[in-house]
Amino acid sequence: MKVTAISIPVRDQEKALKFYTEVLGFIKKRDIPLEGGNRWLTLVSAEWQDGPELLLEPAPLHFEPSRVYQDALMEAGIPYTQFDVTNVEEEYDRLTRQEVEFSVKPTEMGTVKIAVFNDTCGNNIQLVEML
Amino acid sequence: MTFYESEISRIRDLCYANDKHLETVIATRNFIDVHYDQDLNLDLLSHHRLTSKFHLLRLFKRYYGLTPKQYLTDKRIEKAKEQLILGHTVKEACFTVGFESVSSFSTLFKAKTGKSPGEFQKEQFSRRDSDLEL
Repeated sequence: MKVTAISIPVRDQEKALKFYTEVLGFIKKRDIPLEGGNRWLTLVSAEWQDGPELLLEPAPLHFEPSRVYQDALMEAGIPYTQFDVTNVEEEYDRLTRQEVEFSVKPTEMGTVKIAVFNDTCGNNIQLVEML
Repeated sequence: MTFYESEISRIRDLCYANDKHLETVIATRNFIDVHYDQDLNLDLLSHHRLTSKFHLLRLFKRYYGLTPKQYLTDKRIEKAKEQLILGHTVKEACFTVGFESVSSFSTLFKAKTGKSPGEFQKEQFSRRDSDLEL
């Protein structure tokens, strides 16, 4: 078994695609039309294009427990997904210039430095730099 | 303050209160990052930090979840991939990143990445070519 995809629940796939590619810098890999306007939409990291794919899935629109869970995580400030970066401060500067909102500014936490931002699609996302 | 922020500070106070420990393991990791291509061993790393090697081994594993040796191996494999992508031979990649035997390097590379160094390189090149063609 191999890990090849991780899911991120989003309220609006098109808006998520724009944010994750234009603001964060991911690259679209697969965009397969499904029923009812839903898509099998995956992205890869620009610097690791044969790495795992991020699946932007519209679960909160079609499965209420998913929406409830996503809202509860957002409310509590909890990031369910995290991305590795080489420099959290640089990413923080780059993203705040693009008006991304951070709920946790760059903070040292033992052997890592973390920051948490709102992905505008219903999720808190954590950035992690290993110190 | 969100629930998450209060949890971060609670857990930090409980798990990461020892600045000396943190300083030691972070400096050790940085040392490995810079000197991964050299003949590193626990004696040398502990000497560098003026600490006993068993203490250092325990601390590193406690804070990073890997032993220094495991961390070093992962770092060398990552660097070897970069070498292969740049077009260096398997032998060159092996010695440049600090491994001493091509056969043990190849075995380790395959175990970690699922491909031999040669297969990995071939795949990178064919991907590049097909990107150009299509």
